[in-house]
Amino acid sequence: MTPAVLVGLGAVCVATVLISVYGLRISRTTGDFYVASRTVRPWWNASAIGGEYLSAASFLGVAGLILVSGIDALWFPIGYTAGYLMLLLFVAAPLRRSGAYTLPDFAAARLDSRPARRVTSVLVVTIGWLYIVPQLHGAALTVRITTGLPAWVGAAVVVVVVVLTVMAGGMRSITFVQAFQYWLKLTALAVPAVFALLTLGAQGAPITDGGAAFHPDLDVTDAASLYRNVSLIIALLFGTLGLPHVLVRFYTNPDGTAARRTTVIVLGLLALFYLFPTIFGVLGRIYTPDLATGGQADATVLLLPQRVLGSAGGDLLAALVTGGAFAAFLSTTSGLVVSLAGVVSQDLFRGSVKGFRVAAVLSAAVPLVVALATDSRALAGSIGTVFAFTASTICPMLLLGIWWRGLTAAGAIAGMAAGAAVCGSAIVAAAVGGEGLGPFAELLAQPAAWSVPLAFTVMVVVSKLTASHRPATVSRVMARLHAPERAETGWRPAGPPA
Amino acid sequence: MSQEPQRRPPARIRVTAPRTRAAAARSRYSVSRELAEQSELGEMFIRSLMRSQLRLALVVAGGFGLILLGVPVLMLLFPSINGMSVFTVPLPWLLLGAGVYPVILVCAVLYTRAAARNEDRFRRLVDDDRSSRPAWSAEPE
Repeated sequence: MTPAVLVGLGAVCVATVLISVYGLRISRTTGDFYVASRTVRPWWNASAIGGEYLSAASFLGVAGLILVSGIDALWFPIGYTAGYLMLLLFVAAPLRRSGAYTLPDFAAARLDSRPARRVTSVLVVTIGWLYIVPQLHGAALTVRITTGLPAWVGAAVVVVVVVLTVMAGGMRSITFVQAFQYWLKLTALAVPAVFALLTLGAQGAPITDGGAAFHPDLDVTDAASLYRNVSLIIALLFGTLGLPHVLVRFYTNPDGTAARRTTVIVLGLLALFYLFPTIFGVLGRIYTPDLATGGQADATVLLLPQRVLGSAGGDLLAALVTGGAFAAFLSTTSGLVVSLAGVVSQDLFRGSVKGFRVAAVLSAAVPLVVALATDSRALAGSIGTVFAFTASTICPMLLLGIWWRGLTAAGAIAGMAAGAAVCGSAIVAAAVGGEGLGPFAELLAQPAAWSVPLAFTVMVVVSKLTASHRPATVSRVMARLHAPERAETGWRPAGPPA
Repeated sequence: MSQEPQRRPPARIRVTAPRTRAAAARSRYSVSRELAEQSELGEMFIRSLMRSQLRLALVVAGGFGLILLGVPVLMLLFPSINGMSVFTVPLPWLLLGAGVYPVILVCAVLYTRAAARNEDRFRRLVDDDRSSRPAWSAEPE
């Protein structure tokens, strides 16, 4: 299987670099670099958002989780998708209209405060790093399972390709790369899934084994409690609102209305995509049950084509799936690196393109070190943890900042700090203490259900206490966030004047 | 970054980013925004636009939340649902694995339309206000 897989893997990496080099030709200004000068059309942008968002957790993790925990796992893709619904409802258009480039820019503009900006920057960088690490774990796992090469090669390849593409083209070329990678990922799951179903159907082999595939007896984990499912959904719904690589994409829409249209398309693309990991997961419950007990559930997607289809055809499809998996690691990582580099370079290097490139290297190197030094956990689970952290920190600042005039800089800082402190320590305590914590284990492992309301409460209370320090600019900012652009003075793409 | 510098076509410049203060893109201000910012009446328009947009978002989110919550609640209340299946796929799997997504899409489309309607209403209000007619003579749509 190694040659075909290696070709597939290499092809994805080369295509990624090529597209970004092509993009370099049209990437001229700082605006191109950071936000593609806001000239990206909804379909392109939506594909790019889909490409960026569907990470290792979606591509490998969902199927693996279905294998291990059955129906409870279906809440993950629902949460990932519905998070975008929340984004559409509460954030998309105002955020686009804010005119800021990054989350810290938004915080600074809305709260008129340097400290608030700095706290947001620190959180964004932390979240980005935490999010990149599972991608690199996924890459390591993929390379180890499919090629037999040492695991670190996978993580290193992803980081090198990402740094090359980001340094080459910035946001503009990344948009093309990401859009390409959404469709690649969809193909890489859809084709093998359809093939497998057709083959099994033609052979009269069991597809669901008369429904036995759905039986909870196949689950390796216990059924999740109601608390865990609710807390998970809260984390995923609200966590999406604060993801830096997702938010930076909204600035590339021409206006607020386009931002909404883009989000609706994204929802369609995500809904379509998630059908396939689910099919893989269900088939896996019959054809690869050994992976669940062996702690390698995340490899289900990679190994299933060969288990189902056998030799030749299976090899080709395995190559396709591996390529798709790499597209997932590359696109999410590069999206994160772009947004982190944007933040870091502005805060440390005054926003020059050279600074952006240095920052890109920094943003990718730190998580690489962390990924090499730690072991992989279930991918979907660790991404879920990052969502909980985001939901407890960035999300309240963003929601209250957009919809509540009363938010003050002190309130935002206090809320973000409180959310980060309790959510972070809960996750660490759960990881260290494990099951020894008894009834608290679940509360700590999946803290969103209480840490998100807590962060909101702290933010509101402190804002009320410091109400005399409301930024004087708040009316102007609110008008900018919410007033629609006029149709006839609608903004046209920047470029040489006609 | 601020107002367009005196109509000179922007020359292709060496890339820099003087935007740490993030007071970005004022040049894109529309008339309605300028107005909304400067007058008390404008601020009132903005407040009412925000209220209606927020109410809309909360209603859609609440509706979706109820539907989402409805699935496990139905399963708890009527355990017989767990026994039903379509082509061997149990109903709960079908609902959670596929059925939820069209609901999400419908919510998204409905919201987008309604939000655009709210904004149209705001635009018309502001326009009426500018064309010297008393703002409150505008018929509510």
